[in-house]
Amino acid sequence: MEVLREKVEEEEEAEREEAAEWAEWARMEKMMRPVEVRKEEITLKQETLRDLEKKLSEIQITVSAELPAFTKDTIDISKLPISYKTNTPKEEHLLQVADNFSRQYSHLCPDRVPLFLHPLNECEVPKFVSTTLRPTLMPYPELYNWDSCAQFVSDFLTMVPLPDPLKPTIKKEEKVLPKKYTIKPPRDLCSRFEQEQEVKKQQEIRAQEKKRLREEEERLMEAEKAKPDALHGLRVHSWVLVLSGKREVPENFFIDPFTGHSYSTQDEHFLGIESLWNHKNYWINMQDCWNCCKDLIFDLGDPVRWEYMLLGTDKSQLSLTEEDDSGINDEDDVENLGKEDEDKSFDMPHSWVEQIEISPEAFETRCPNGKKVIQYKRAKLEKWAPYLNSNGLVSRLTTYEDLQCTNILEIKEWYQNREDMLELKHINKTTDLKTDYFKPGHPQALRVHSYKSMQPEMDRVIEFYETARVDGLMKREETPRTMTEYYQGRPDFLSYRHASFGPRVKKLTLSSAESNPRPIVKITERFFRNPAKPAEEDVAERVFLVAEERIQLRYHCREDHITASKREFLRRTEVDSKGNKIIMTPDMCISFEVEPMEHTKKLLYQYEAMMHLKREEKLSRHQVWESELEVLEILKLREEEEAAHTLTISIYDTKRNEKSKEYREAMERMMHEEHLRQVETQLDYLAPFLAQLPPGEKLTCWQAVRLKDECLSDFKQRLINKANLIQARFEKETQELQKKQQWYQENQVTLTPEDEDLYLSYCSQAMFRIRILEQRLNRHKELAPLKYLALEEKLYKDPRLGELQKIFA
Amino acid sequence: MNQPCNSMEPRVMDDDMLKLAVGDQGPQEEAGQLAKQEGILFKDVLSLQLDFRNILRIDNLWQFENLRKLQLDNNIIEKIEGLENLAHLVWLGSSDSHASASQVAGITDLSFNNIETIEGLDTLVNLEDLSLFNNRISKIDSLDALVKLQVLSLGNNRIDNMMNIIYLRRFKCLRTLSLSRNPISEAEDYKMFICAYLPDLMYLDYRRIDDHTKKLAEAKHQYSIDELKHQENLMQAQLEDEQAQREELEKHKTAFVEHLNGSFLFDSMYAEDSEGNNLSYLPGVGELLETYKDKFVIICVNIFEYGLKQQEKRKTELDTFSECVREAIQENQEQGKRKIAKFEEKHLSSLSAIREELELPNIEKMILECSADISELFDALMTLEMQLVEQLEETINMFERNIVDMVGLFIENVQSLMAQCRDLENHHHEKLLEISISTLEKIVEGDLDEDLPNDLRALFVDKDTIVNAVGASHDIHLLKIDNREDELVTRINSWCTRLIDRIHKDEIMRNRKRVKEINQYIDHMQSELDNLECGDILD
Repeated sequence: MEVLREKVEEEEEAEREEAAEWAEWARMEKMMRPVEVRKEEITLKQETLRDLEKKLSEIQITVSAELPAFTKDTIDISKLPISYKTNTPKEEHLLQVADNFSRQYSHLCPDRVPLFLHPLNECEVPKFVSTTLRPTLMPYPELYNWDSCAQFVSDFLTMVPLPDPLKPTIKKEEKVLPKKYTIKPPRDLCSRFEQEQEVKKQQEIRAQEKKRLREEEERLMEAEKAKPDALHGLRVHSWVLVLSGKREVPENFFIDPFTGHSYSTQDEHFLGIESLWNHKNYWINMQDCWNCCKDLIFDLGDPVRWEYMLLGTDKSQLSLTEEDDSGINDEDDVENLGKEDEDKSFDMPHSWVEQIEISPEAFETRCPNGKKVIQYKRAKLEKWAPYLNSNGLVSRLTTYEDLQCTNILEIKEWYQNREDMLELKHINKTTDLKTDYFKPGHPQALRVHSYKSMQPEMDRVIEFYETARVDGLMKREETPRTMTEYYQGRPDFLSYRHASFGPRVKKLTLSSAESNPRPIVKITERFFRNPAKPAEEDVAERVFLVAEERIQLRYHCREDHITASKREFLRRTEVDSKGNKIIMTPDMCISFEVEPMEHTKKLLYQYEAMMHLKREEKLSRHQVWESELEVLEILKLREEEEAAHTLTISIYDTKRNEKSKEYREAMERMMHEEHLRQVETQLDYLAPFLAQLPPGEKLTCWQAVRLKDECLSDFKQRLINKANLIQARFEKETQELQKKQQWYQENQVTLTPEDEDLYLSYCSQAMFRIRILEQRLNRHKELAPLKYLALEEKLYKDPRLGELQKIFA
Repeated sequence: MNQPCNSMEPRVMDDDMLKLAVGDQGPQEEAGQLAKQEGILFKDVLSLQLDFRNILRIDNLWQFENLRKLQLDNNIIEKIEGLENLAHLVWLGSSDSHASASQVAGITDLSFNNIETIEGLDTLVNLEDLSLFNNRISKIDSLDALVKLQVLSLGNNRIDNMMNIIYLRRFKCLRTLSLSRNPISEAEDYKMFICAYLPDLMYLDYRRIDDHTKKLAEAKHQYSIDELKHQENLMQAQLEDEQAQREELEKHKTAFVEHLNGSFLFDSMYAEDSEGNNLSYLPGVGELLETYKDKFVIICVNIFEYGLKQQEKRKTELDTFSECVREAIQENQEQGKRKIAKFEEKHLSSLSAIREELELPNIEKMILECSADISELFDALMTLEMQLVEQLEETINMFERNIVDMVGLFIENVQSLMAQCRDLENHHHEKLLEISISTLEKIVEGDLDEDLPNDLRALFVDKDTIVNAVGASHDIHLLKIDNREDELVTRINSWCTRLIDRIHKDEIMRNRKRVKEINQYIDHMQSELDNLECGDILD
C-alpha cells in the first residue's frame, strides 16, 4: 500500500510538474475530534514547552510506526537502493525541523490531530512526506493530461482499508447514487382544470413515491452504512488538489485517487483539509472547515490561512518558476515566521525515491495482474488488460437487482482487438435479449446484432454498415413470420422490403437435405423518389400479393398534389369462352390516375408494365430467398467466430506479433553473430610487434621476416608456457595426492569414520582433477603444432606482411 | 440504269407505308397481338426504320412526336425536310441515301437524287448522332442547333474545303467524325489539320486518334490555332460584355429607371431641339446650359438610385410573399396527405373485410359505412382546401395593398423629382428668354460685339420670333420630361396590375386543380366501392 501510494504520488507529480500546476496532497479530517482520542494531550495543559514537545513527538512516532504494518510482506526491500534505507544528513535535518514544527503546532493547536509529517517507508525509515514526491515526465501521451492520468492511477490502485480508520491515509468515500427514478413529465391536457387536477394528483403521487423512495433509500442507507455513520467526519483520506493558474486550469479542483474522478472544491464529500503538501513544502490549514471545503481559500501564500513549514515559498500566489528563482533568499519575512533560525536557510531535500519507471507492458496492463474488480452498489465492474483474456474481453459491467448482488439484471461486456470486430456484448437477463455491437470491418459488415437465440427464423435484428455493403442494406428485422429490410443509397432507390411468409408446406419428397423455403405470401417494397422520373411514373410502393396473384402499385405524389396514382394488376391468366388464352383485358388492371393520360390507358402499355412487374416479382422473391440464405450464413459465421474468438495483433505491436518477433529475434541473432565475428577478426596478433616499429611506414622485407619470426617465437613460447603450466599443476596435484595417501596410511588406525569419508571424497576429487589435467595436457600437445602452423599460415597471408609473400611466392 | 432497285418507282411516304413499318417494327408475340388489337399511335413510336424503300421525299412524319431514332438510309432522298416536329430525335441516319443505286452500279454516280445541302435540322436540338454518308454535300453548314452532336458521319461526300473543319469547332461534344472519301481527305495535311483544330475529337474515320498524333498535330498547327483561339476568345469576351450590358439594362428596366443614371434624358431633350441648340451659342447661355445640365443630371441620378432601391424593396416583398404562400400550401398539402394516408389504411382494411364477409345485410352495412367514410374524407379535404383559400385570399389582399402602396409611393416621389426637373427647365427657360431679349435689344441697337451663327441670327428678327423659338425649345424639353415620366408611371402600373392578376389567377388555378383532384379521387373511391358492391351482388 505504501509503495503504491508513493507511486501514485510520483506519477501525479510527474504530471503535475510537467504541467506546472500545483498539486497538493491534502489530508482531510474533520476538525472536530472526539475527546477520548486526544485525552492524553488534553491533560497536558500548560506544562513546560519541552515536556509537551517530548510527549507530542512520542505520539507522532507511534502514529507513524503503525503504517508499514500492511506493506511489509509485499515488498522485497533488499533490492531497494540505499536512499530508501538511510537518511542523508539533510533529510535528518529536515526530520528535525519537521519534529520541531510538529511540536510547535501541537502546542498551539492542542485540539487538532497530530500532523502527518514523516511516516515510515517500506524500509521502516522515517521520511518526510514531501520527499516522497518526485516529479517525473512519463513517455505516454495518456499521462499528459490529468483526467487520463488520474484514471490510470486509479486503475493501478487497490483499496486496502487501514486497520484503524481514524489514522492517516484512510479512504472514506461514498459513491454517488445514480438517479433511478426520474419522474415523468406531466401530460399535456386540454382542460386547464383537469390539468391542474392532474398536477395535483401527480404531485400527491409523487410525494408518496418520494416518501416511499426516501424511506427505501433510508432503509438502504441504513443497511449500507450503519458503520460509517458512527465515524462520520473522523475518517482520513488523501487526495490530490490541483491549483488553478497553469496549463489553462481555470479553477481549483480535487482528484480522488481511487476513482480518478475530479470534484469541485465545493463538493460536500470532502469534509475538511488538515494539511497539504507537495514536493516543495508542507502547509497546515488554519481555516475553519465547519462548512466542508466550501469556504476554503487556496491561497497558499497567505500565512494566516495556511501555515507553512519551510520558508521560501511564501509568495502570494505560488508558482514553480518564481520559486525556482528566488528559493529561500527572502530574508525579510524572517521575523514574522516565529520559527527557529535554522529554518530560514533550509530547502526541501531532493526526493529519495527512485524515478518511477512504467514499462509499456505495465502501462498496458494498468491494474495489478491486469485485472481489477470494482464493486458498486448493485453493480460490479471488472476490468482486464488487453490480450489477458483469450476472447478479448476487457471489461464487464454486471448490474444486479438487489443489494446482495445475486439476481443479475444485465451484463455488458466490452471487447478489444477481436478479429470479428465485436466491441460490446449486451445481455439483458430479464428479457434474455442479447445484443452484439461491432466496429466497422466485420466481413459481413455487421453493426449490431440483437437476438434471443442463434436459431434461424426467430426474432432478430441485424444492422449493417450500409456503406460497406454493395446492396446498401441498413437493417434487417426478422420475426418468425416476417422479414423486413431497410436500404439506403441504392441506384434503384429501393428503401424498404418487407416479406411475410406462410406456414411451411410439408414436402412429400424424402430428401430432407434439400432446403424447404417457407412460401412467400406477400412482398412489399418501397422506393425513394427518383428525381429523374416524373412523379406519376415513379413507383413509391409496390406490393406483390403472391398468394392472391395480385400486384399493387402506388406512385409518388406530385409536388403540388395530395393524392397519388395507384394501379392494381390481377395477374391471373384466364381462358375465354373459346378456349383461347386471354392476354390482357381492361379489368385486369385497375388504375387511379391523378391526371389521366392517354397512353397509360392502352392495353399494350398495361401489358408491358405487367410483364415488367412479373419479372420484378421473380427477382424480389429471389432476393428474399437470398436474404434468408444470408442470415443463415451470418449465423454460421457468428458461431464460428464465437468459437474461435481470434484476436488481431497490430503490426506495430512488436511483442505480440509472433511473426515480427521471430523476424526481429533472427535479426538480433544475426547482428550478434556478426559482432562476434568482427571481434574475432579484430583480435590482432601482430599489433604488439607492429607497435615497436615506427607507425605508418611500409615494412621492408627484412622487417617483415623479423616480425614474423618474433611473432611465431612468441606464440611458441606461449604454447610452451601453457604446457608447462598444465604440467606443473598436474605434478602439484599428484604430489598432494601422494602426501595425503601417505598420511592416510600412517594414521589409518586412528581415523574416525568421518575423517575417512573426508579422505575418500578428497581422493576421488583429486583423481578427477588429475585425470582432467592429464587430458588437457595431451590435447594441448596434440593441438599446439597445429595452432602454430595455422598462425604461420595466417601470417603469410596477412596483407601487412605483404613482403613475405613476395619472398615466398 | 439497269439496276432492279432503280427500276422501282420512287415511293411516297404515305400513311400505309408508315403503318406497315410501325407494325413490323413494333412489339411482337402477345404484345403484338394486343398492339394489333388496339392499334399503335404514331406519337408513341420511339424508333422508325425506313430503309431500302426508294423514298424520294421525307413526308408525313409530323405525327411521330416522340421519335428517338429515325433511319432513312438507302433511299433516294434529295432534300432534308419534314423533320421539324421531331424535336426528341437523338439518332438520325440518312446515310447511303443513294447507295442502292451507286453501290450496285459500282460507279460513283452521284449526279442525281442526292442531298446536296444540309438543312432543315434547326429544331432537332437533341440530336446526338447524325449520319449523312454517301451524299452530295459540299459544305458543312446549318448544324448550329445541334449542340449535343456527338457523332457526325459525312463520308463519301463532296466536301472540298478545309475551312469546313473550323465550323465544327463549335460542337463541344463532338467525339467521332467521319470524312473519308471526300475531296479534302485527299489532302496530305488532312488528318493533322483535323486533329489540330478539333482537339476533343476521339475517333476520325473509324480510327482512334492517339495522343502522339494529337501532340504532333498541335505542334504543327500551333501558330494558326493560337491565332484562332485568340480570335475566339476575343469574340467570347465581346459577347460576354454585351451580355453583361444587356443584363444591366434589363435590371434597370425592371426598376423602370433605365437611362436615368446619366445625361441620357438631358441629351434626348436637346436631340430634336434645333432652336435650343442654336440658342446655346448666345453669349452666357453656354455656362447656363452647363450648370443646368449638371443639376438636371443630379436629379436624374437621384431618380435612378431611388428606383433601384425601390425595386430591391419590391423584390424582397414579393419574395417573402411567395415564400409564405409556398409554405402555407406545403403545410396544407402535408395535412391532406396525412388525412388520405389515414383514410386509405382504414379503407383498405374495411374493403378486405367486405370481401370476406358472407352475410348480405352485413355487407350492405359495411358498404354504407365505407361510403360514409369516403364522404367524410371529402368533407375534410374540402374544408382544408377552403381554409387555405381563405387564408391565401387574405394574404394576397394584404400583399396587394402593400405593393400598390409601394408603387404609389414610388410614383409620387418620382413625380416630385420630375417636378424639380421641370422647375429647372422653367428656370432655365426664363433665363434664356431674358438673355435672348437682351440680345435682341442689343442687335436692334446694333451694338452686339460677338458674331452669331447665321441660323441663330435668323431668329433675331423681331421679338415674337425669338420668343416663339425659345418657347418651342422649352415645350420640347417639357414634353420629353413628361414623356419619360408617363412612361415610367404607365410601365410600373401595368407591371403592378399584371403581377396582381397573375397571383390571383395562379391561386384560382391552384384551387381549381386541387378541387378537381379531390373530386377525382373521391369519385374513384366511390366507384371502386360501387364496383365491389356490384361484384358482390353478382356473386
